[in-house]
Amino acid sequence: MRDSAREKLLNRIGSADGYPELRRLRDQAHERMESLLSSMPVEQFYTAINEIHDALIRRVLILTESDMARQGNGSPPVPYAYLLFGSGGREEQTLSSDQDSGIVYEDPPQEEELEQVRDYFAKYGELTVENLQKVGYPPCEGNVISSNRLWCDSLSAWKSKLDGWFDRAEFEEVRYLLIVADGRRVYGEESLFTSYKDHFFSDTLAKPRIVKRMLDNTMRHKVLLGLFGQLLKEQYGEQAGSVDIKYGAYIPMVNAIRMMAIQSGVRSTSTLQRIEELEAAGAVTEEQSSALQDAFRSFLRFRLMTMKQDEDGLYSSNGMLSRQKLDKTLTEQLKQGLRVGKRLQRSVSRRVTGKLR
Amino acid sequence: MVKKVVSSLGGLLLLFPAMAFASEPTPTSVLLGVNLLWVMVAAILVILMQGGFILLEAGSTRMKNAGHVAGKTIFTVGLGSLIYWAVGYGIAFGENGNLFIGLGDFFYTPSMTITDDVVPSSLFWVFQCAFAVISLSIAWGGFAERAKLSSYLIFTIVFVGFIYPVVAHWIWGGGFLAEDGAQDFAGSTVVHLSGAMAALAATILLKPRIGKYNKDGSANQILGHNQVFTALAVLLLWVGWFGFNAGSALGVDDGFFGFVAFNTQLGAAAGAVAAMLITWIVLGKADITTMLNGALAGLVAITASCAFVDPWAAVVIGLVAGVFVFFSMKFFEKMKIDDPIFALSVHGAAGVLGTLANGLFATPELVAYNGVGKAGLFYGGGWEQLWVQFLSVVVCGAFVFIVSFIVLAIIKSVMGFRVSEEQEIIGLDLSEHGAYGYPEQMKKGTNLNA
Repeated sequence: MRDSAREKLLNRIGSADGYPELRRLRDQAHERMESLLSSMPVEQFYTAINEIHDALIRRVLILTESDMARQGNGSPPVPYAYLLFGSGGREEQTLSSDQDSGIVYEDPPQEEELEQVRDYFAKYGELTVENLQKVGYPPCEGNVISSNRLWCDSLSAWKSKLDGWFDRAEFEEVRYLLIVADGRRVYGEESLFTSYKDHFFSDTLAKPRIVKRMLDNTMRHKVLLGLFGQLLKEQYGEQAGSVDIKYGAYIPMVNAIRMMAIQSGVRSTSTLQRIEELEAAGAVTEEQSSALQDAFRSFLRFRLMTMKQDEDGLYSSNGMLSRQKLDKTLTEQLKQGLRVGKRLQRSVSRRVTGKLR
Repeated sequence: MVKKVVSSLGGLLLLFPAMAFASEPTPTSVLLGVNLLWVMVAAILVILMQGGFILLEAGSTRMKNAGHVAGKTIFTVGLGSLIYWAVGYGIAFGENGNLFIGLGDFFYTPSMTITDDVVPSSLFWVFQCAFAVISLSIAWGGFAERAKLSSYLIFTIVFVGFIYPVVAHWIWGGGFLAEDGAQDFAGSTVVHLSGAMAALAATILLKPRIGKYNKDGSANQILGHNQVFTALAVLLLWVGWFGFNAGSALGVDDGFFGFVAFNTQLGAAAGAVAAMLITWIVLGKADITTMLNGALAGLVAITASCAFVDPWAAVVIGLVAGVFVFFSMKFFEKMKIDDPIFALSVHGAAGVLGTLANGLFATPELVAYNGVGKAGLFYGGGWEQLWVQFLSVVVCGAFVFIVSFIVLAIIKSVMGFRVSEEQEIIGLDLSEHGAYGYPEQMKKGTNLNA
């Protein structure tokens, strides 16, 4: 998409006055993006598509605010920030992405108002999720979503919640903390979000136990490379012969880089940016950084190749790259990336446990 | 004290008056008695292996078929024993035979006691009958989860009454392969390959189970309902195998049965280890089912060669069998041959491998000791023994496959071989027997035909 065309589209999204129109604009954007898929550098492609997603989500949020007012709930009683987690948080959404979201709102000045404020955002969260579905974003299966009270809270409540997660550090809580690490503000008050992230980063590094738990969780998904360097493919079912790009290549690398970023206090959320900042911080060498970036870019590209299904009008992908699409060159490229990924997993594991000793 | 001994001896004499007249035990008669006792124990161990097959087959299949799978094994062991008594034994070992078939000794009546210092014919029959029904239970692997109960009945009669005894005659009963010097100590070919070839004919004619393959040709994994059963099955079979192999020494006085047991243990162990490692390497996950099949494949492979090879070769044979069984399982799956219990790979592929291994690894000393055939290729025996082994595999395999295929094809066209789609989905427990093996768990299953 040429810049001017994209600007135009973004403008139209920004002024759309209904969900059906947003849905149409999304479809249009997708068609254009799909046609650009093969010719555009992968990073540029992701930047473009994430800009569109952000614009769509922002517009839905603004429209939902007016829906709330129209339904007699008034306007937001306190400033808030709407957060994206998961691939949205990392600015790595594809054409198909689900909603991983949360809300943080300012503590009301008067204690008595808290109830009312909480009610407003509970309703607002629910309505937003509904409206985003109308624009083709399926809700998050793991229930990390702004309509879930757990992910919609005031700043002080969030802080004590984060403290609790850091303290208990059971499987589920560690998972939540890793999700928070990818959080990004898509709309609303930046200062709220900064204060939220400050809290996260001040606590993480102070507790070695949590870092170890994070590492365990992070290494759960193994790179799909066998002992002899062969690709480990699906054995059974309709997907037999295909490669699980999402959980066998992309996610392991995202996880490993996130782990390093958390340890080095790197705050950016996009994996490529994290790698660059890790290089700047001296956590990886220039050579390592470029190998990691190359590998990750190739995973991003493979990930785009996994999309096709359109269930009930919602965009989604099972993250599997079918055997038909995997020719010799691509297989080699994938293996090359996976080798980098495997080395990365090993070195992160060593680095983290080494630091703990 | 003395009183006690005298009075108990007196009691024994009252109970068994013959004891007073029995001739003094000589060292020879004691040895013979011990030999016979071992063969009896071995026969019992082999019969106990049926418990292994019950658990193996039930564990590897789904809950809705468990009662049927387990029960039919006991039924066919019963029927098979009667048929072996009436017909099978006479064809395998009947006195008036030729190179191709034995004749005589139908509706067999053995001698009451020993006649000439060898295993009494009664005991020999029990031992051989146990082998025949093992081969039968292997064949059922190809029938699993979709064949009609009536087909089990008819095939038992044909298999134990004709197919199996003919092969046993060829190799063990003085048939033409025995004349050639084919080495198959305890039955890699006779018992295991025969069973597997019958299973192959059955599974080809039955076609894959519902849900095994997708429209695009990809395979689904139909997991067995109890991996613990399957593992226990392998242990039972492993233990029983000492009766199978070491029992085939038919005595203990020269101590050779210990050597056979030694090799058997090494073969099984190597099979289990190799299979686990190969799945780990190839799939990235260590697969339990394959590992269990690897142990069995090691046992099947070492069955022919346990009396003919050195221990190091037993380890090699087991290792190769463990790797081979994994690729064989993949191969049959790719060929769209649904083999629920993996009988084709465990008993067929490994049976072939074990029989051929003799042609490579048989040592001159052991060959001389057993008095069958010649040394293998790696021991200066040249290609001859390997050729004989190859021939026995091809001839026996082809014979069993062709006859089984014809018989089952007739069953298929005359009375039907496979249950209806509805019956298969409800499960054979209900369709063939009217009650579930797991009634509580399967209650919901009755809605499956809705």
